[in-house]
Amino acid sequence: MDELIAKLKTQIIEQLNLEGVSPDDISPDDQLFGEGLGLDSIDALELIVLLEKNYGIKIENPAEGKKIFATIRSMAEYITSKGKA
Amino acid sequence: MKAYIRGIGQISPQQTFAGDFLENVVAYNTNMMFCIDPVYKEFINPLQLRRMSRTLRMGVTAAKICLLDSGIEMPDAVITGTGFGCIEDTEKFLLAMLNNNEQQLTPTAFMQSTHNTISGQVAIMLKCKEYNSTYVNRGFSFETALLDSLMLIEEGNAHKVLLGGFDENSVNLHVTTERLGHWKKEKINSLQLLESKTPGTISGEGATFFMLTDKEDENNYALLKGFSTLYKPEDEKEVKLHVSDFLKRNNLSAGDIDLVVYGLNGDVRTDDVYYHLRDNLFNQTAGAYFKHLCGDYYTSSAFALWLSANAIKKQVIPESVRLGKAPSGVLKNILIVNHYRDINYSFMLVSQC
Repeated sequence: MDELIAKLKTQIIEQLNLEGVSPDDISPDDQLFGEGLGLDSIDALELIVLLEKNYGIKIENPAEGKKIFATIRSMAEYITSKGKA
Repeated sequence: MKAYIRGIGQISPQQTFAGDFLENVVAYNTNMMFCIDPVYKEFINPLQLRRMSRTLRMGVTAAKICLLDSGIEMPDAVITGTGFGCIEDTEKFLLAMLNNNEQQLTPTAFMQSTHNTISGQVAIMLKCKEYNSTYVNRGFSFETALLDSLMLIEEGNAHKVLLGGFDENSVNLHVTTERLGHWKKEKINSLQLLESKTPGTISGEGATFFMLTDKEDENNYALLKGFSTLYKPEDEKEVKLHVSDFLKRNNLSAGDIDLVVYGLNGDVRTDDVYYHLRDNLFNQTAGAYFKHLCGDYYTSSAFALWLSANAIKKQVIPESVRLGKAPSGVLKNILIVNHYRDINYSFMLVSQC
Protein backbone atom coordinates (compact mmCIF):
# COMPACT_ATOMS: atom_id res chain seq x y z
CA MET A 1 0.00 0.00 0.00
CA ASP A 2 2.80 2.44 0.91
CA GLU A 3 4.44 1.85 -2.43
CA LEU A 4 1.18 2.55 -4.26
CA ILE A 5 0.59 5.71 -2.22
CA ALA A 6 4.06 7.00 -3.09
CA LYS A 7 3.45 6.24 -6.77
CA LEU A 8 0.07 7.98 -6.71
CA LYS A 9 1.57 11.08 -5.13
CA THR A 10 4.11 11.39 -7.92
CA GLN A 11 1.51 10.77 -10.61
CA ILE A 12 -0.89 13.33 -9.16
CA ILE A 13 1.83 15.98 -8.84
CA GLU A 14 2.80 15.39 -12.45
CA GLN A 15 -0.70 15.16 -13.89
CA LEU A 16 -2.01 18.21 -12.05
CA ASN A 17 1.22 20.16 -12.47
CA LEU A 18 1.43 20.93 -8.76
CA GLU A 19 4.42 23.23 -8.98
CA GLY A 20 6.53 23.51 -5.86
CA VAL A 21 4.80 20.52 -4.22
CA SER A 22 6.87 17.43 -3.41
CA PRO A 23 5.50 13.97 -2.47
CA ASP A 24 6.60 14.59 1.13
CA ASP A 25 4.35 17.65 1.32
CA ILE A 26 1.25 15.53 0.83
CA SER A 27 -0.02 13.31 3.59
CA PRO A 28 -1.97 10.26 2.36
CA ASP A 29 -4.84 11.36 4.57
CA ASP A 30 -5.01 14.98 3.40
CA GLN A 31 -8.28 15.93 1.76
CA LEU A 32 -7.65 16.31 -1.96
CA PHE A 33 -10.52 18.72 -2.50
CA GLY A 34 -11.54 21.78 -0.52
CA GLU A 35 -9.40 22.54 2.50
CA GLY A 36 -6.56 20.08 1.89
CA LEU A 37 -4.80 20.18 -1.42
CA GLY A 38 -7.39 22.59 -2.81
CA LEU A 39 -8.18 20.68 -5.98
CA ASP A 40 -11.27 21.54 -8.04
CA SER A 41 -13.70 19.96 -10.49
CA ILE A 42 -11.26 20.09 -13.42
CA ASP A 43 -8.71 18.25 -11.31
CA ALA A 44 -11.40 15.65 -10.58
CA LEU A 45 -11.67 14.99 -14.31
CA GLU A 46 -7.89 14.73 -14.54
CA LEU A 47 -7.89 12.18 -11.70
CA ILE A 48 -10.59 10.10 -13.40
CA VAL A 49 -8.43 9.98 -16.53
CA LEU A 50 -5.36 9.17 -14.41
CA LEU A 51 -7.11 6.12 -12.91
CA GLU A 52 -8.28 4.95 -16.31
CA LYS A 53 -4.99 5.50 -18.07
CA ASN A 54 -2.58 4.19 -15.45
CA TYR A 55 -4.66 1.54 -13.71
CA GLY A 56 -7.32 0.59 -16.25
CA ILE A 57 -10.11 1.52 -13.85
CA LYS A 58 -13.25 3.22 -15.11
CA ILE A 59 -15.46 4.96 -12.58
CA GLU A 60 -18.88 3.70 -13.64
CA ASN A 61 -20.89 5.25 -10.82
CA PRO A 62 -20.25 9.02 -10.44
CA ALA A 63 -21.64 8.92 -6.91
CA GLU A 64 -18.65 6.80 -5.89
CA GLY A 65 -16.26 9.54 -6.97
CA LYS A 66 -16.51 11.64 -3.82
CA LYS A 67 -15.50 8.69 -1.69
CA ILE A 68 -12.78 7.37 -3.98
CA PHE A 69 -11.09 10.74 -4.47
CA ALA A 70 -11.36 11.92 -0.87
CA THR A 71 -7.69 11.26 -0.10
CA ILE A 72 -4.71 9.57 -1.67
CA ARG A 73 -5.19 6.68 0.75
CA SER A 74 -8.81 6.22 -0.36
CA MET A 75 -7.65 6.21 -3.98
CA ALA A 76 -4.99 3.60 -3.21
CA GLU A 77 -7.55 1.44 -1.34
CA TYR A 78 -9.92 1.61 -4.27
CA ILE A 79 -7.21 0.62 -6.74
CA THR A 80 -6.19 -2.27 -4.48
CA SER A 81 -9.81 -3.40 -4.11
CA LYS A 82 -10.06 -3.61 -7.89
CA GLY A 83 -6.90 -5.74 -7.99
CA LYS A 84 -5.04 -3.21 -10.10
CA ALA A 85 -2.29 -2.16 -7.71
CA MET B 1 -10.75 57.27 -34.74
CA LYS B 2 -8.25 57.86 -32.01
CA ALA B 3 -7.42 56.80 -28.47
CA TYR B 4 -4.84 57.52 -25.83
CA ILE B 5 -2.50 54.82 -24.65
CA ARG B 6 -2.61 54.92 -20.85
CA GLY B 7 -0.77 51.74 -19.91
CA ILE B 8 1.34 49.01 -21.46
CA GLY B 9 2.53 45.53 -20.53
CA GLN B 10 4.68 43.29 -22.64
CA ILE B 11 6.35 39.88 -22.45
CA SER B 12 8.77 39.40 -25.33
CA PRO B 13 12.15 37.86 -26.20
CA GLN B 14 13.61 41.01 -24.64
CA GLN B 15 13.42 42.00 -20.98
CA THR B 16 10.48 44.27 -21.63
CA PHE B 17 8.46 43.10 -18.64
CA ALA B 18 10.88 44.72 -16.23
CA GLY B 19 10.57 48.25 -17.57
CA ASP B 20 13.72 47.95 -19.68
CA PHE B 21 13.27 50.08 -22.80
CA LEU B 22 15.68 48.04 -24.92
CA GLU B 23 18.74 49.36 -23.13
CA ASN B 24 20.17 45.86 -22.71
CA VAL B 25 19.03 43.91 -25.71
CA VAL B 26 19.41 40.15 -25.89
CA ALA B 27 20.97 38.67 -29.04
CA TYR B 28 19.99 35.21 -30.25
CA ASN B 29 21.95 32.96 -32.57
CA THR B 30 18.98 31.18 -34.06
CA ASN B 31 16.10 31.25 -36.51
CA MET B 32 13.48 31.05 -33.77
CA MET B 33 12.93 33.14 -30.66
CA PHE B 34 11.10 32.58 -27.40
CA CYS B 35 10.07 35.04 -24.72
CA ILE B 36 12.05 35.72 -21.59
CA ASP B 37 9.84 34.62 -18.73
CA PRO B 38 9.36 36.80 -15.69
CA VAL B 39 8.77 35.12 -12.34
CA TYR B 40 5.11 34.38 -13.01
CA LYS B 41 4.37 33.67 -9.36
CA GLU B 42 4.83 37.38 -8.71
CA PHE B 43 1.85 38.09 -10.96
CA ILE B 44 -0.44 35.06 -10.84
CA ASN B 45 -1.93 33.09 -7.97
CA PRO B 46 0.01 29.76 -7.77
CA LEU B 47 -3.23 27.78 -7.75
CA GLN B 48 -4.21 29.30 -11.10
CA LEU B 49 -0.67 29.28 -12.40
CA ARG B 50 -0.18 25.52 -12.26
CA ARG B 51 -2.86 24.92 -14.85
CA MET B 52 -1.78 27.68 -17.23
CA SER B 53 0.18 27.00 -20.38
CA ARG B 54 3.11 29.19 -21.34
CA THR B 55 1.14 31.53 -23.59
CA LEU B 56 -1.58 31.91 -21.00
CA ARG B 57 1.01 32.89 -18.42
CA MET B 58 2.55 35.35 -20.85
CA GLY B 59 -0.79 36.91 -21.80
CA VAL B 60 -2.24 37.16 -18.32
CA THR B 61 1.00 38.60 -16.95
CA ALA B 62 1.26 41.18 -19.76
CA ALA B 63 -2.36 42.16 -19.05
CA LYS B 64 -1.63 42.48 -15.33
CA ILE B 65 1.45 44.62 -15.93
CA CYS B 66 -0.62 46.81 -18.26
CA LEU B 67 -3.40 47.22 -15.70
CA LEU B 68 -0.92 48.14 -12.98
CA ASP B 69 0.86 50.54 -15.31
CA SER B 70 -2.39 52.26 -16.30
CA GLY B 71 -3.76 52.59 -12.79
CA ILE B 72 -7.09 51.37 -14.16
CA GLU B 73 -8.48 48.40 -12.29
CA MET B 74 -11.54 47.60 -14.36
CA PRO B 75 -11.71 48.07 -18.13
CA ASP B 76 -14.98 48.52 -20.05
CA ALA B 77 -13.90 45.87 -22.53
CA VAL B 78 -11.24 43.20 -23.03
CA ILE B 79 -10.29 42.66 -26.67
CA THR B 80 -7.47 40.50 -27.97
CA GLY B 81 -6.04 39.47 -31.31
CA THR B 82 -4.05 36.33 -32.04
CA GLY B 83 -3.01 34.45 -35.14
CA PHE B 84 -2.57 30.99 -33.69
CA GLY B 85 -4.02 31.33 -30.21
CA CYS B 86 -2.85 28.84 -27.64
CA ILE B 87 -1.08 26.62 -30.14
CA GLU B 88 0.95 24.62 -27.61
CA ASP B 89 -2.19 23.41 -25.83
CA THR B 90 -3.75 22.63 -29.19
CA GLU B 91 -0.72 20.54 -30.10
CA LYS B 92 -0.80 18.84 -26.71
CA PHE B 93 -4.45 17.94 -27.02
CA LEU B 94 -4.16 16.71 -30.61
CA LEU B 95 -1.10 14.63 -29.77
CA ALA B 96 -2.94 13.08 -26.82
CA MET B 97 -5.82 12.23 -29.15
CA LEU B 98 -3.43 10.51 -31.52
CA ASN B 99 -1.37 8.71 -28.89
CA ASN B 100 -4.36 7.51 -26.86
CA ASN B 101 -6.50 6.56 -29.82
CA GLU B 102 -9.01 9.31 -28.98
CA GLN B 103 -9.52 7.90 -25.48
CA GLN B 104 -8.62 9.06 -21.95
CA LEU B 105 -8.32 12.72 -22.89
CA THR B 106 -7.68 15.20 -20.13
CA PRO B 107 -9.69 18.43 -20.07
CA THR B 108 -7.07 21.07 -19.28
CA ALA B 109 -5.26 21.30 -22.62
CA PHE B 110 -8.56 21.12 -24.51
CA MET B 111 -10.11 23.92 -22.44
CA GLN B 112 -7.11 26.14 -22.94
CA SER B 113 -6.62 25.43 -26.62
CA THR B 114 -9.26 27.94 -27.68
CA HIS B 115 -8.12 31.28 -29.02
CA ASN B 116 -10.11 33.30 -26.50
CA THR B 117 -8.56 31.63 -23.45
CA ILE B 118 -6.48 34.68 -22.55
CA SER B 119 -9.21 37.30 -22.84
CA GLY B 120 -11.49 34.97 -20.90
CA GLN B 121 -8.92 34.32 -18.20
CA VAL B 122 -8.24 38.06 -17.83
CA ALA B 123 -11.98 38.69 -17.47
CA ILE B 124 -12.31 35.94 -14.85
CA MET B 125 -9.31 37.30 -12.98
CA LEU B 126 -10.80 40.81 -12.94
CA LYS B 127 -14.40 39.61 -12.53
CA CYS B 128 -15.05 41.77 -15.58
CA LYS B 129 -18.40 40.95 -17.18
CA GLU B 130 -18.15 43.58 -19.88
CA TYR B 131 -17.59 43.18 -23.62
CA ASN B 132 -15.03 40.46 -24.34
CA SER B 133 -13.85 39.51 -27.78
CA THR B 134 -10.95 37.79 -29.54
CA TYR B 135 -10.07 38.22 -33.19
CA VAL B 136 -8.26 35.58 -35.20
CA ASN B 137 -7.45 37.06 -38.58
CA ARG B 138 -3.92 35.91 -39.34
CA GLY B 139 -1.75 38.96 -40.03
CA PHE B 140 -4.63 41.31 -39.20
CA SER B 141 -5.47 39.76 -35.84
CA PHE B 142 -4.07 42.52 -33.64
CA GLU B 143 -5.22 45.12 -36.15
CA THR B 144 -8.82 43.88 -36.05
CA ALA B 145 -8.77 43.90 -32.26
CA LEU B 146 -7.41 47.44 -32.40
CA LEU B 147 -10.10 48.48 -34.86
CA ASP B 148 -12.82 47.09 -32.60
CA SER B 149 -11.29 48.91 -29.61
CA LEU B 150 -11.14 52.21 -31.45
CA MET B 151 -14.72 51.83 -32.68
CA LEU B 152 -15.98 51.11 -29.17
CA ILE B 153 -14.23 54.23 -27.90
CA GLU B 154 -15.30 56.34 -30.89
CA GLU B 155 -18.94 55.42 -30.42
CA GLY B 156 -18.78 56.06 -26.69
CA ASN B 157 -19.58 52.45 -25.82
CA ALA B 158 -16.36 52.14 -23.84
CA HIS B 159 -14.00 54.62 -22.24
CA LYS B 160 -11.18 52.29 -21.30
CA VAL B 161 -10.38 49.20 -23.32
CA LEU B 162 -7.81 46.54 -22.47
CA LEU B 163 -6.40 45.57 -25.85
CA GLY B 164 -3.98 42.70 -26.35
CA GLY B 165 -2.05 40.97 -29.10
CA PHE B 166 -0.35 37.64 -28.49
CA ASP B 167 1.14 34.67 -30.28
CA GLU B 168 3.39 31.90 -29.08
CA ASN B 169 6.11 30.06 -30.91
CA SER B 170 6.55 26.31 -30.73
CA VAL B 171 9.02 23.88 -32.22
CA ASN B 172 6.24 22.03 -34.06
CA LEU B 173 4.83 25.25 -35.47
CA HIS B 174 8.28 26.45 -36.49
CA VAL B 175 9.15 23.18 -38.23
CA THR B 176 5.81 23.07 -40.05
CA THR B 177 5.97 26.65 -41.29
CA GLU B 178 9.67 26.26 -42.08
CA ARG B 179 8.62 23.81 -44.79
CA LEU B 180 6.54 26.60 -46.28
CA GLY B 181 9.66 28.74 -46.50
CA HIS B 182 8.70 31.19 -43.76
CA TRP B 183 11.95 31.05 -41.82
CA LYS B 184 15.63 31.29 -42.59
CA LYS B 185 17.34 27.95 -43.10
CA GLU B 186 20.50 29.17 -41.42
CA LYS B 187 20.91 30.32 -37.84
CA ILE B 188 21.92 33.95 -37.65
CA ASN B 189 22.80 36.53 -35.04
CA SER B 190 19.41 38.16 -34.50
CA LEU B 191 20.96 41.61 -34.13
CA GLN B 192 22.38 41.26 -37.65
CA LEU B 193 19.04 40.29 -39.15
CA LEU B 194 19.07 42.93 -41.87
CA GLU B 195 22.53 41.92 -43.02
CA SER B 196 21.43 38.42 -43.95
CA LYS B 197 20.30 38.75 -47.52
CA THR B 198 18.56 35.38 -47.65
CA PRO B 199 14.92 34.27 -47.87
CA GLY B 200 12.90 33.88 -44.69
CA THR B 201 13.08 35.48 -41.29
CA ILE B 202 13.25 34.53 -37.60
CA SER B 203 10.09 33.15 -36.00
CA GLY B 204 9.14 34.90 -32.80
CA GLU B 205 6.47 35.42 -30.21
CA GLY B 206 5.15 37.90 -27.71
CA ALA B 207 2.23 39.11 -25.62
CA THR B 208 1.49 42.83 -25.49
CA PHE B 209 -1.38 44.62 -23.79
CA PHE B 210 -2.44 48.25 -23.98
CA MET B 211 -4.95 50.23 -21.99
CA LEU B 212 -6.68 52.52 -24.46
CA THR B 213 -8.79 55.39 -23.21
CA ASP B 214 -10.61 58.44 -24.50
CA LYS B 215 -9.47 60.53 -21.55
CA GLU B 216 -6.59 62.95 -21.68
CA ASP B 217 -4.20 62.46 -18.80
CA GLU B 218 -0.66 63.46 -18.02
CA ASN B 219 0.22 59.79 -17.56
CA ASN B 220 -0.80 58.83 -21.10
CA TYR B 221 2.01 57.45 -23.21
CA ALA B 222 0.86 58.71 -26.57
CA LEU B 223 -2.12 59.32 -28.80
CA LEU B 224 -2.96 56.66 -31.33
CA LYS B 225 -4.10 59.14 -33.92
CA GLY B 226 -4.74 57.08 -36.99
CA PHE B 227 -4.87 53.52 -38.19
CA SER B 228 -5.25 51.86 -41.55
CA THR B 229 -4.82 48.46 -43.19
CA LEU B 230 -4.15 47.32 -46.71
CA TYR B 231 -4.63 43.77 -47.99
CA LYS B 232 -2.34 42.32 -50.66
CA PRO B 233 -1.24 45.48 -52.41
CA GLU B 234 -0.40 45.18 -56.09
CA ASP B 235 3.06 46.69 -55.79
CA GLU B 236 5.27 49.13 -53.86
CA LYS B 237 3.64 52.11 -55.55
CA GLU B 238 0.25 51.16 -54.15
CA VAL B 239 1.74 51.02 -50.65
CA LYS B 240 3.34 54.44 -51.11
CA LEU B 241 0.06 55.90 -52.36
CA HIS B 242 -1.82 54.34 -49.45
CA VAL B 243 0.62 55.86 -46.95
CA SER B 244 0.39 59.30 -48.57
CA ASP B 245 -3.42 59.17 -48.45
CA PHE B 246 -3.34 57.92 -44.88
CA LEU B 247 -1.16 60.84 -43.80
CA LYS B 248 -3.34 63.29 -45.72
CA ARG B 249 -6.46 61.99 -43.98
CA ASN B 250 -4.71 62.80 -40.72
CA ASN B 251 -3.75 66.28 -41.93
CA LEU B 252 -0.09 65.37 -42.11
CA SER B 253 2.56 65.03 -44.79
CA ALA B 254 5.70 62.90 -44.91
CA GLY B 255 7.70 65.86 -43.58
CA ASP B 256 5.63 65.86 -40.36
CA ILE B 257 6.74 62.35 -39.47
CA ASP B 258 9.72 62.28 -37.11
CA LEU B 259 10.28 58.54 -37.16
CA VAL B 260 9.08 55.63 -39.28
CA VAL B 261 9.09 52.22 -37.61
CA TYR B 262 9.43 49.62 -40.35
CA GLY B 263 8.53 45.96 -39.99
CA LEU B 264 11.74 44.89 -41.71
CA ASN B 265 12.35 41.22 -41.03
CA GLY B 266 15.44 40.41 -43.09
CA ASP B 267 13.52 38.43 -45.71
CA VAL B 268 15.14 39.33 -48.98
CA ARG B 269 11.87 38.54 -50.79
CA THR B 270 9.63 40.99 -48.96
CA ASP B 271 11.73 43.77 -47.41
CA ASP B 272 12.02 45.84 -50.59
CA VAL B 273 8.68 47.49 -50.04
CA TYR B 274 10.02 49.12 -46.87
CA TYR B 275 13.20 50.34 -48.56
CA HIS B 276 11.14 51.68 -51.46
CA LEU B 277 8.98 53.62 -49.03
CA ARG B 278 12.02 54.93 -47.19
CA ASP B 279 13.82 55.99 -50.37
CA ASN B 280 10.80 57.52 -52.08
CA LEU B 281 8.71 59.04 -49.33
CA PHE B 282 10.75 59.19 -46.14
CA ASN B 283 14.28 59.80 -47.36
CA GLN B 284 14.62 62.70 -44.92
CA THR B 285 13.00 60.87 -42.02
CA ALA B 286 14.70 58.78 -39.37
CA GLY B 287 13.86 55.09 -39.35
CA ALA B 288 13.67 52.24 -36.88
CA TYR B 289 12.98 48.50 -37.01
CA PHE B 290 12.12 45.91 -34.40
CA LYS B 291 11.78 42.32 -35.65
CA HIS B 292 15.42 41.54 -34.85
CA LEU B 293 14.31 41.85 -31.20
CA CYS B 294 11.08 39.87 -31.19
CA GLY B 295 11.07 37.79 -34.36
CA ASP B 296 8.16 37.71 -36.76
CA TYR B 297 4.69 36.51 -35.84
CA TYR B 298 1.11 37.35 -36.72
CA THR B 299 0.69 40.00 -34.04
CA SER B 300 4.17 41.53 -34.05
CA SER B 301 2.75 44.96 -34.89
CA ALA B 302 1.81 45.12 -31.20
CA PHE B 303 5.55 45.15 -30.42
CA ALA B 304 5.95 48.09 -32.82
CA LEU B 305 3.15 49.96 -31.05
CA TRP B 306 4.79 49.26 -27.70
CA LEU B 307 8.08 50.59 -29.08
CA SER B 308 6.51 53.72 -30.57
CA ALA B 309 4.41 54.63 -27.53
CA ASN B 310 7.45 54.30 -25.27
CA ALA B 311 9.62 56.31 -27.66
CA ILE B 312 7.07 59.15 -27.69
CA LYS B 313 6.65 59.15 -23.91
CA LYS B 314 10.35 58.84 -23.09
CA GLN B 315 11.49 60.86 -26.10
CA VAL B 316 14.13 58.22 -26.70
CA ILE B 317 14.84 55.95 -29.62
CA PRO B 318 17.00 53.08 -28.35
CA GLU B 319 20.17 52.65 -30.34
CA SER B 320 19.33 48.99 -30.94
CA VAL B 321 16.34 49.84 -33.14
CA ARG B 322 17.74 52.74 -35.13
CA LEU B 323 17.92 52.43 -38.86
CA GLY B 324 20.41 55.04 -39.93
CA LYS B 325 20.57 58.41 -38.25
CA ALA B 326 18.65 59.33 -35.12
CA PRO B 327 16.02 62.06 -35.46
CA SER B 328 16.83 65.50 -34.15
CA GLY B 329 14.36 67.49 -32.11
CA VAL B 330 11.17 66.46 -30.39
CA LEU B 331 9.51 63.18 -31.36
CA LYS B 332 5.98 64.25 -32.21
CA ASN B 333 4.74 61.81 -34.80
CA ILE B 334 5.74 58.19 -35.39
CA LEU B 335 4.43 56.15 -38.28
CA ILE B 336 4.45 52.36 -38.00
CA VAL B 337 4.53 50.50 -41.30
CA ASN B 338 4.31 46.74 -40.99
CA HIS B 339 3.34 43.82 -43.15
CA TYR B 340 3.00 40.12 -42.55
CA ARG B 341 4.38 38.09 -45.46
CA ASP B 342 3.54 40.81 -47.97
CA ILE B 343 -0.16 40.10 -47.42
CA ASN B 344 -1.41 42.03 -44.41
CA TYR B 345 -0.22 45.63 -44.29
CA SER B 346 -0.95 47.92 -41.36
CA PHE B 347 -0.18 51.56 -40.67
CA MET B 348 -0.43 53.25 -37.30
CA LEU B 349 0.13 56.88 -36.46
CA VAL B 350 1.34 57.47 -32.93
CA SER B 351 1.59 61.07 -31.76
CA GLN B 352 2.59 63.06 -28.75
CA CYS B 353 -0.37 63.83 -26.47
